[in-house]
Amino acid sequence: MTAQLAIDALSVVFRNGAEERALLHAITLDLQKGEILGLVGESGSGKSLLCRTVIGLLPSKALTVTAGRVLLDGADILNAPMGGIRGRRIGMIFQNPTSHLDPVMTIGRQIAEGLIHHKRLGKAAARTEAVDLLRQVGFPDPARAHDSFAHEFSGGMRQRAMIAVALACDPEILIADEPTTALDVTIQAQILRLLIQLRDERGLSIILITHDLGVVAQTCDRIAVMRHGRIVEQGEKRALLADPQHDYTKTLIASHPSLAHGKEVDVPPPSADPVFQIDNLEVAFPMSGGFLSKARSFRALKGLSLRVWPGETLGIVGESGSGKSTLARAMLGLTRATAGEISFDGQSLTRDREKTLKHLRANAAMVFQDPFNALNPRMTIAETLAEVLQTQGKTPRDHIPARIGELLDLVGLDRTFASRRPRSLSGGQCQRAGIARALAVNPRVIIADECVAALDVTIQAQIVDLFRDLIARTGLTLVFIAHDLAIVRNLCARVVVMHHGEIVEDGPSARIFARPERPYTAALIAAIPDINPDRPLNGGIIPNQQEKVT
Amino acid sequence: MIPPPPLAYLRTRPMLATGLAILAGFVLLAVLAPWVAPHDPIAHDVGPKLLAPSWAHPFGTDNFGRDVLSRVIWGARIDLQIAVIGVVFPFLIGTFIGTLAGFFGGWVDVVFMRLIDVVLAFPFLVLMLSIITILGPGLGSFYIAMALVGWVSYARLIRAQILVLKTQDFAVAAESLGFSRLRIMFRHLLPNALAGSLVFVMSDAVLVLLNGAAISYLGLGVQPPLAEWGIMVAEAQGFITQAWWITLFPGLAIVTLAFGFSLTGDALADVMGVRE
Repeated sequence: MTAQLAIDALSVVFRNGAEERALLHAITLDLQKGEILGLVGESGSGKSLLCRTVIGLLPSKALTVTAGRVLLDGADILNAPMGGIRGRRIGMIFQNPTSHLDPVMTIGRQIAEGLIHHKRLGKAAARTEAVDLLRQVGFPDPARAHDSFAHEFSGGMRQRAMIAVALACDPEILIADEPTTALDVTIQAQILRLLIQLRDERGLSIILITHDLGVVAQTCDRIAVMRHGRIVEQGEKRALLADPQHDYTKTLIASHPSLAHGKEVDVPPPSADPVFQIDNLEVAFPMSGGFLSKARSFRALKGLSLRVWPGETLGIVGESGSGKSTLARAMLGLTRATAGEISFDGQSLTRDREKTLKHLRANAAMVFQDPFNALNPRMTIAETLAEVLQTQGKTPRDHIPARIGELLDLVGLDRTFASRRPRSLSGGQCQRAGIARALAVNPRVIIADECVAALDVTIQAQIVDLFRDLIARTGLTLVFIAHDLAIVRNLCARVVVMHHGEIVEDGPSARIFARPERPYTAALIAAIPDINPDRPLNGGIIPNQQEKVT
Repeated sequence: MIPPPPLAYLRTRPMLATGLAILAGFVLLAVLAPWVAPHDPIAHDVGPKLLAPSWAHPFGTDNFGRDVLSRVIWGARIDLQIAVIGVVFPFLIGTFIGTLAGFFGGWVDVVFMRLIDVVLAFPFLVLMLSIITILGPGLGSFYIAMALVGWVSYARLIRAQILVLKTQDFAVAAESLGFSRLRIMFRHLLPNALAGSLVFVMSDAVLVLLNGAAISYLGLGVQPPLAEWGIMVAEAQGFITQAWWITLFPGLAIVTLAFGFSLTGDALADVMGVRE
């Protein structure tokens, strides 16, 4: 049987003046009809570039295909006009549906555009067809969705809309570039199931690009692992996962967070006074009402109570919009409480704000989600760290350079990084620098807000190990906020589950992951894509799931 | 902000290289005017009156018998000064106010934004002219009027940037680390907000230069007999049919300098756009 899409020794080179760098090295890859192929690799491995090359959308003029062929049903499409192929025969969906959907065009019109252009349908026929497509991708009220705009939907629904746009022309192949990376686990599970269902119903062939082996294990038939522009290994899913040949694949599998490789940590008994004591905390943000309409507010936290004990590692999990980040900011005095009480070391942040803030700034620090965005791009790492040390005033001036060196050692960055700016660092290195900056405060508490969410899996594992090491060495109290439950299970002794601004469940993580008491927690846990393909993806159905924002 | 680019880098960016070369040429001309200019720019009758371009007077002479080439060269001093001072003060004032308005928000923002609306409500040139009329004609008045009117664009640009930047993680991080507000504003936010305004500075310099020329042309800027391109064009107006060279060469100088600023501005936008 010949492959539907065959990539044959494809090479792409980046040329800029005299500089020449090969980005794809003789990639050979087949996609059979009705197959889901998982393309796995870290950022920069060339997986997105490969797919863009296939549909003739090279992202820069400096890139050229130097060798190889791309055969669609046996015909070379690399040099053929793309008009009848891109969109029509090969559809594509992307990681961020928000930026790939037109904000000022209704969802229906965006679907109809393809139908009218490629299938030459009339307006009325296009509408009927579009509504039908929206129903197929799981919109509960497709007629209404047809006339809605992208911003009226949640992230998961937008991704469904984008899939509908891609399906409009009845393509034979769908390329999905990290389609679920920006989504919560439960929504991710729904989208992945939708992809499988579409394959079964339409005989669609899918290339699924992802960095998460769990996603691949759950959905794909075959896996190709990419690194540095080469396919290091490819094969049938089960065979490859069970018996990886290449070292890199082995590392990738070993660092997958669904494999608990950390030791079970005991929950330290709450002996001393709590570091943070939060009672009935409410935070509301004003939502500007229209002219003459009543000003409304959005309650991000609804009467939340929590204790954080010294020396513990507390994980806070929940989906986006559950209020986790608001809680972190409120704890650090970056967002004011609307009602309720926050105390740090027995001092009240709500009543005695200025004094407590001063104490807080000297004893607690935060690590942020986006490593590139969290560091001032115009300052070198040394300048960034020196600034903190100077402001804190605990380190004598002439000791600062030595202390910077120590901090870099502590987070596992080479000392030569001191003179570099964030732009010239990788995501993982940036995050290490961000952690070094937090440590420069010499804090007793670190609050890490989604600090590994933007990183590749192997880097995630390294950062988690770094935290584990720091906790063991310095007796730090860590509040670790994440939407990725698997990582929290690995790192944290105690877990708090948040949903819609409230705490749903709170307890030792071993117990919560083994025997969740609440249905919401159970659904969250079930939705984690496991690297074991035989443990099916059965999550994603949550009671009272609010999908459409109105 | 931008480190001086090495020559090899300039070779890959012909637009930036051309723009900078033009600007550098005019700066050299202005600095070396006393040595480069063949004659005294103000002295009358260095040659016959209204003499067409020739080897002795390459740009010809004007109705007072002054050497046009020398006047164009000396004029570079004043016109560069106009372009630079006319931009620097609005830039500084606008940047400062924009930073405050964007960072503090609330009533500070409201007050400054309404003030900007008021300034913008008047036609630019009319406002300039009335301020200069009140202060009395002269370059000093021109600079003051520019500073009073020109800052609004910079303030709005910077404010918009600061509004975006202050919600970014690194700004929140700075706050969470206990840095002072001044430090957050001027050490963390402003340096990251400047790129857009620096590009605007270049295109604004063109406008200011043309403004300066226009104001001088109207007799409210540089006073005769000082050599300035705008005023040279204005004075020679009456002779345009018999002695085209008196207006053409200063006019060309204005256009070339403006072109230099434009090219540099466009190229900077490219460079910074890539860096952003």
